[in-house]
Amino acid sequence: MGSVKVKNLIKKYDDVVALNNVNINIEEGEFFALLGPSGCGKTTTMRCIAGFEDPSSGEILIGNNVVNNITANKRNCGMVFQSYALFPHYNVFENVAYSLTVRELYQGGPATKLKSFARLMSKRLAKPSKTIEQKVMDALSYVELDKYVERGVNELSGGQQQRVALARALVMEPSVLLMDEPLSNLDKKLRNSMRTTIRRIQQEVGITTIFVTHDQEEAMSMADRVAVMKDGEVVQIATPTELYSNPQTPFVADFVGSSNIFEGQIKESTKEGSVVNIGDVILKSNIKLDKKDVKVMIRPESIELSSNGKIKDGENVLKGKVKISTYLGAQIRYDVMVGNHEIMIDQTFEPGTPVLPPGADVKLKIDPERVLLI
Amino acid sequence: MKPELNNQKVEVKTKKASILDRLDYLSVLKWAILGFFALFLIIPLFSVFLVSFTGMPINIFGSLVNPEIMSTTVERLSNSSLEHYMKLLAGGTYFKALVNSLALALGVALLVIVMCFPIAYAFARTTMPFKKTFAALCTIPLIVPTFVSAAGFILMFGRTGWFTNIYQAFGGDGVLFNVYSMTGIVLVQVFFFFPFALWPMVAAFKASDVTLEEASQNMGAKNWITMIFVTFPLAIPGIISSALLIFTVSFSDFGTPIIMSPPDLNLIVVEAYREIAGFFNWAGAAILTVIMVLVAGFFFWLQRLVTKGRDYGTLSGKPKMQKLNDNKVVTTSLAIYTSVVVLMPLLTILTVFLQSISTTWGHGALPDGLTLAHYQRIFTSSSNNIWNSVMLAVGALILSVVIATFVSYFVVRRGAAKLDFIASIPLIVPGIALGIALIQTFNTAPLQLTGTALLLIVAYTIRRMPYMIRSTMGTMMSIKKDIEEAAVNLGASPLLAAVTIIGPLMLPGIAAGSILVFITVIKETSVTVLLAPSDLAPMSLVVFQSLLRGDFYTASAMAILIIVVVLGLQAFANRFSKNRLY
Ligand SMILES: Nc1ncnc2c1ncn2[C@@H]1O[C@H](COP(=O)(O)OP(=O)(O)O)[C@@H](O)[C@H]1O
Ligand SMILES: [Mg+2]
Repeated sequence: MGSVKVKNLIKKYDDVVALNNVNINIEEGEFFALLGPSGCGKTTTMRCIAGFEDPSSGEILIGNNVVNNITANKRNCGMVFQSYALFPHYNVFENVAYSLTVRELYQGGPATKLKSFARLMSKRLAKPSKTIEQKVMDALSYVELDKYVERGVNELSGGQQQRVALARALVMEPSVLLMDEPLSNLDKKLRNSMRTTIRRIQQEVGITTIFVTHDQEEAMSMADRVAVMKDGEVVQIATPTELYSNPQTPFVADFVGSSNIFEGQIKESTKEGSVVNIGDVILKSNIKLDKKDVKVMIRPESIELSSNGKIKDGENVLKGKVKISTYLGAQIRYDVMVGNHEIMIDQTFEPGTPVLPPGADVKLKIDPERVLLI
Repeated sequence: MKPELNNQKVEVKTKKASILDRLDYLSVLKWAILGFFALFLIIPLFSVFLVSFTGMPINIFGSLVNPEIMSTTVERLSNSSLEHYMKLLAGGTYFKALVNSLALALGVALLVIVMCFPIAYAFARTTMPFKKTFAALCTIPLIVPTFVSAAGFILMFGRTGWFTNIYQAFGGDGVLFNVYSMTGIVLVQVFFFFPFALWPMVAAFKASDVTLEEASQNMGAKNWITMIFVTFPLAIPGIISSALLIFTVSFSDFGTPIIMSPPDLNLIVVEAYREIAGFFNWAGAAILTVIMVLVAGFFFWLQRLVTKGRDYGTLSGKPKMQKLNDNKVVTTSLAIYTSVVVLMPLLTILTVFLQSISTTWGHGALPDGLTLAHYQRIFTSSSNNIWNSVMLAVGALILSVVIATFVSYFVVRRGAAKLDFIASIPLIVPGIALGIALIQTFNTAPLQLTGTALLLIVAYTIRRMPYMIRSTMGTMMSIKKDIEEAAVNLGASPLLAAVTIIGPLMLPGIAAGSILVFITVIKETSVTVLLAPSDLAPMSLVVFQSLLRGDFYTASAMAILIIVVVLGLQAFANRFSKNRLY
């Protein structure tokens, strides 16, 4: 087990800068997600930690040891590959046993070495040791695959293969568990149940875990903390709730859930916060900033909407006209025109209430607490 | 966790690629393989190229170690001229040989395309019955050494052939056609090379754009109009590429012309063989070699050009929703036509077989009597030839496997495109040309290797290398890099990962490829007749020499033995590639 520190990590491929000064501190036992759009450098970061890429500069520490000069096979990082990368010529048991057998091969005496090597070449040549058998069976029951020991890995479903990959990485008791988009090859339903499985196992084992994903929902629902990455840089590191309620850049706000983002100017600072102009619309916010030009961000679900006068005129109340209404099951998404600004609003759907048609006159109310300024 | 040795850190800084690539003894191996190709392929070809100007042998290796030889070489080089090329252009035997060979190749290519056209259409676009059987029969021509097919044709259509006997019994006069002629050679090549074109053509017909065809039909065009104006034109690049392939194969073929060409018909392969084996005319052989390589290379290049960006080679593409023609009249007539074509090679082989168990044959449609004496003879007096074949084939197999495996590792995992290019050069070097180049280079000290098993094995290996590499490279590419990385991640060193993961996963590909090497070596002729000394003579040389002697009985028995071995191994190889475990 160990913490992971990435210090000033830079990785260049010829002229392409894949990682530009990445700094991450992951605590022992933490479930840490790397979140960002495709091509932002998540995989590269993970591969640098695992030892498959040499950083152009910067340091990587696992459990307080600098590991830059330690080859990939000695870093003791368990990795779950996006493609699972199971060994197709081995069955489930042999796949999971691989790291343990290799360890016996390197550490054992001549007889053990020979036996382990034979075992790696073919299961028919030698039997696994009792300890290996015990550990493999434990790992497999953890992922609920103890009934599939003798199966060929190609006879398993995607979700089962995923769990073999997980068991294979866990059985070596790695200092850190690395997972690169492990759920992206599964269908939606399976994805949800695997999320729970992975999170459960992580908490039971208490292993430091780095989880790469481009799916914000996945990161937010599983991780203790999330690093949002963009173009090879870390934009923000925070807990999921903080990330959602207090994004530091418009990019984060938009990437983590959707958001209305406008250019605005701070007109005056008050005791409670600021008053901003967005064109001719005036809004109050509880945030104080020392600059004039700001970005104003409002989450679609933090806006109240009504067409029947439930909202009285007052502070932070705007008049608008519905442009498009989209029924999304549990929610209704309205695109409302306020002057010449288009605002997204998500309203919980209550059976019995009609969906407002385009053209309907509405009033919007926004709590100053929910008006974010950056 | 202990830091690795210091020198590893230095390498970390210098290599850009993945850490898996750090194994430096692998670089040494790469240079060794490059050296192998330089020594046995590039330098011999280059040396023949020089000789074609000097007209005198050149000893490149000798020049490097011995100043005297060096001065001779320099003198000869300074005397080099275009004289021999001028003579060639001025006409004469070489020029005629080239023209004849080009005419032969052109004729065969055109005939094959015309002949395959209905069959390819039938396979790709109709519900013709017996497709599987026909496909199986189409493999026969590929397992028979061409001089055996030539012999079979002589046994059928020659002056005492059984077909000729029937023909005369029905009142025919003399022979139907003279087998010892251009016609004979063309027929044998057409019937034994057509599978090379058939499958690419089937693929071309299948790959034609279905949406265009549907559009044409939606606009009200009749089926046959769509076929002529949409389906066929779309298949044209594939067809041209097949024609060019057949052209190269026919141009480089040695087995058929050496058996069938009459004295007054010069063909470039035969001419080159006679110059070197009969007269030791270095200048002539060198010029002919250069020309053969240039012509084969040019047509190979043309073929690449035509197929560029297209992949007609695979039949396994996603099946598109194509409506197959199930008109009974059409499918039945196509089936009859196809059976005539595919039965011809089978008939030829059956003839050879019957000859091999005949006491005597030549007076009628059937042998005078049956005997196993010929087999008994080859198993007693020629058992050493069988042994030679096995030894040479095993030698070539081992060498091929080692080189091909590492070449594909370097090409696939380390992007060594140069190595890939060099290893595909043999594709454009006809066997006779390679033989001449090797003899020219290795017939004197310091590297006198002609007449040794080593040179023969090397020659076989080089000839088969491009195919072997395709086979191992395909397997290598199907093993994703992350599987190797997973093993390393789980604690195995790159070497242990290669041995325990990559090795076993490549085994089926290597096995299938090496069986094919074995097969081609056993039926190889052109390099064999040039390079094999009598004490190393393999089975194919026995067939060849028996044929030249006119002893068709021994030749047939030995040929059938070769075919049986090839068939057996082929079946074995097919099992390997079909029952791929992974
Ligand atoms: N081997 C490589 N050679 C060159 N560029 C690479 C290589 N690997 C990754 N990159 C580049 O680095 C950037 C980050 O890639 P990656 O880490 O795979 O992104 P992610 O996993 O977030 O999708 C991309 O722009 C990608 O094109
Ligand atoms: Mg990635």
